[in-house]
Amino acid sequence: MRVTQSLNQAQFLAALTQIESNLSQTQNQISSNLAFTTPSQNPVAAGSVNNYDQALAQSQQYDANANSAQTRLGTEDSALAQVQTELQTLRDLALQANNGSVSSEGHTAIAAQATQIQNSLLSLANTQDGNGEYIFGGFSTTNQPFALTPSGASYAGDQGQRQAQIAAGQTIADGDNGNVVFNQIKTGNGTFSASAAAGNTGTGVLGASAVQNPAAYDGGTYAVNFTAANTYEVRDSANVLVTSGTYISGQSIAFRGVQVTLSGQPATGDSFTVAPSTNQSLFTTVQNLVTALQTGTGTSATQAKLNNSLGNAINNIDQALSQTSNVRATIGARLNTITTQQSVSSSQQIQLKASISSLQSLDYASAITALDLQNTTLSASMQAYTLTQGLTLFKFL
Amino acid sequence: MAVTSNNIANAGTPGYSKESVVLSAAAPQSNGTASVGSGVNLIATTRAFNQATSNQLNSSQSSLGQLNGLQGYTSQIDNIVGTTAGGISTALQDFYSAWSAVANTPTSAATRQALIGKAQSVADSFSRISSQLNGLNTDINTRITADVQQINSIGASISKLNQQIVVSTAQAGGSPPNTLLDQRDKLVSDLSSLIGVSTTTDTNGALNVFVGNGQPLVLQGTTTTLTTVGNSFNSAQLEISSSTAAGNVISSYITSGDLGGLLAARTQAIQPVQNQLGQIAIAFSQAVNSQQNAGLDLSGQFGANLFSVGGPTATASSKNTDNTSVAVSIANVGALTANDYVLSYKAGAYSLTRSSDGSTVALSGAGTAASPLTADGLSIVVSATPAAGDQFLIQPTAQAAGSFAAVLTDPSKIAAAGAVQTSAANGNVGNATISSGTVVNAANPNLLNTTSIQFISPTAYSVNGAGSFAYTAGANISLNGWQASISGTPAAGDTFTVKSNAGGTGDNRNALASANQQTQGILANGTISINGAISSLITGIGSEAQQVNTAQAAQSAVNTQAQKNVQSVSGVNLDEEAASLLQWQQSYQAAAQALKIGSSLFQSLLTAVQAA
Repeated sequence: MRVTQSLNQAQFLAALTQIESNLSQTQNQISSNLAFTTPSQNPVAAGSVNNYDQALAQSQQYDANANSAQTRLGTEDSALAQVQTELQTLRDLALQANNGSVSSEGHTAIAAQATQIQNSLLSLANTQDGNGEYIFGGFSTTNQPFALTPSGASYAGDQGQRQAQIAAGQTIADGDNGNVVFNQIKTGNGTFSASAAAGNTGTGVLGASAVQNPAAYDGGTYAVNFTAANTYEVRDSANVLVTSGTYISGQSIAFRGVQVTLSGQPATGDSFTVAPSTNQSLFTTVQNLVTALQTGTGTSATQAKLNNSLGNAINNIDQALSQTSNVRATIGARLNTITTQQSVSSSQQIQLKASISSLQSLDYASAITALDLQNTTLSASMQAYTLTQGLTLFKFL
Repeated sequence: MAVTSNNIANAGTPGYSKESVVLSAAAPQSNGTASVGSGVNLIATTRAFNQATSNQLNSSQSSLGQLNGLQGYTSQIDNIVGTTAGGISTALQDFYSAWSAVANTPTSAATRQALIGKAQSVADSFSRISSQLNGLNTDINTRITADVQQINSIGASISKLNQQIVVSTAQAGGSPPNTLLDQRDKLVSDLSSLIGVSTTTDTNGALNVFVGNGQPLVLQGTTTTLTTVGNSFNSAQLEISSSTAAGNVISSYITSGDLGGLLAARTQAIQPVQNQLGQIAIAFSQAVNSQQNAGLDLSGQFGANLFSVGGPTATASSKNTDNTSVAVSIANVGALTANDYVLSYKAGAYSLTRSSDGSTVALSGAGTAASPLTADGLSIVVSATPAAGDQFLIQPTAQAAGSFAAVLTDPSKIAAAGAVQTSAANGNVGNATISSGTVVNAANPNLLNTTSIQFISPTAYSVNGAGSFAYTAGANISLNGWQASISGTPAAGDTFTVKSNAGGTGDNRNALASANQQTQGILANGTISINGAISSLITGIGSEAQQVNTAQAAQSAVNTQAQKNVQSVSGVNLDEEAASLLQWQQSYQAAAQALKIGSSLFQSLLTAVQAA
């Protein structure tokens, strides 16, 4: 085959361009640390990297969501911890006031302290997070949820509970609405509550009450009426006699699976009611306590009334404490879930980064070897060209 | 020696074919006893030329020209769309992250403003890529015009050479005008890198050149020019036509050469990407907007559309004989494809074909507003019965990416909150709870009405005081376009309320749902997520570019081989010329020596005569 000088030259130039273009690509790869800079260099990997990039960014976003939820739950938890402290103080005050030796001035002082506590509780219930959102407002986070009223506090929030996306398909509540935390608190012992009729004239004071046999309690409302100072009868809401007996101070009266304890001396016609627990706002409980303390005592009957009110208040404060504990327990569980999820997602992210890196990152050893080889090829072909170009017969003419 | 010198001088001239002299011994003269040769005659100067290898090179050059033309565009698209930094992927990722940030703090004006910004940058990246692709289309038009001009001027030169060759062949008594032939072959070779050609040679030496599917470019001494005409559906898209059959578009027959590459780049590289991008834009915008419409903004109103996107377009062919128009809308985004279609009306029936492969798509319906034609997620309404032979180009997604825009500017109009909220009355005695409620049909006009669900017994409830429905714990209760479930043990008299979530500005349910769309299947009947579609677009573009690169490299090798073959026949090898130069030198020297000896013999004879 005849080879001509012009073709030789053209081919050499083409080859030189090709080598230089490869060299520049390798150089580009090395300086950018990328195995491919355009999708055409590895179409499948380019598509996969796009998917992995998204998964990674999403996982990082979930982390950010989890952090945000963590902060919000942390704020809620510390607010509730303070609520517990305040409630504990309030309970101590109620116990102190329940002691017969406290004077009416003492009661007024305690009432003043209870009012202080009510204000602290109100400000805790109106806690705002770092973004200025009321954390106990449900979905309504821009309006102050609680405001004091003569009978307790009104709630302007709703029953919404916001969720945070902390993983694909996994959401977690980043708060609790104020209605659940402060309003939906059962009265009495959580199942039923016993109360003295307002018109009682004796000194009967309600003590501990409990459900003895849950199966036997039907959730009905019952009245314990004193037909004589030492005789009581229990009637249901339809005024049907359930049981009757002889009253001994300090001994429990049991019927339909429940028992209540009475002490003191009820008068004939006095009545006590056992009714299913209802929801009562914590603020109403505190307000009732303050009102009872401010009413003052004079007679043994009013003292008994105060004692009954204080007993109720203590029961309700206990319920509030347990409700707060329950909410805090769920917060703790959620925080645990977040921590677990964070560690899962961090190992996920390491995995994803490794996958992206294995597809996208340059293998320096092979790239540098390639660069070296291309370099060698370039100089060799240049040398070969000059050598062969020197080979011409005209030199010998 | 003159021919050899000419060869050496033209060693670098493109298209030059090595020439050689044809010698023959002159007729001998007889002196009576023996015939003695009377020297040498120069018969002709011939050029080393092989039509077959030359044709091979021409066709290889056409293929290479096509691939070069195509590669220019596939690699540009590869760079424009492929690199994530300039791509939509990052913008989308940021957009969904911004939704998450809104979900974390729904009332924050800052996060809402950030979301508006990210929405804007998603829209920008869609329209930027689309306008870059449109720029490529404009560029192709410019290059098509330039190519056609060049083809016509080469055609004119060939026809002029034809005339000269015919004349000079006749003058020289049949001996070939080598230089003119070389020039003509060079022009044909140049022409074939612009457009695929086939040639025939007439007996008088004239060359006829044909392009496309047999359209003549040069016939003897006349040139038929090619012209550019607007596409019958889109006047801004240039097509090729031959002046012999004015208005007859021959683009589809031009499959090789630079011109073929340009036409292929338009239909194979640019349009599919533009359409797919549009498909993604439509699906994305619809998903985001419908989620927006299902939630409530800060003022308790249903969310406004975040994006606007161009819908499908239908263009009547300029050849249609009447003014019938076609309106196309999207009936089902999930079924939408990235194809263009041609709707034809023939023999009283409509038919729909895919532009990409010409395959027929099944149509149903009559084309009227009451019964639109439906196919591939499209709903087509024809204004009146079209004339027979009418054609309409339907582009469901081509214009979408270019017109994609973020239209919401007020951050407070972002719907982060769910439309309804549920609550349990504080007086409830049972322990039943109600779920937060989801919207299943945002279009229901009664969605925001307050509904009260009251239990008349632990096992039955009434709705707004009416009816009695059996209670199943955990089962969904659906009404007015919402859905909620009550679980637990209710007591008689317990009441639950479902009402408008206006005022629930801290709610993030709708924002969460929007953020979660990132991984939801939205395209292809809900099987492919937006990001999945972009990934496959990237892979598709990369594969196309890679395939063209590979083909181009392979064709380059073929072309080099064809060049070698031609050069091996027609090229000038300087060593060879040096050798033949030496040969002529030696003959010359020998002849001179013969002359010298003859002269010395004659001198001897003269001396002998003088001496005698």
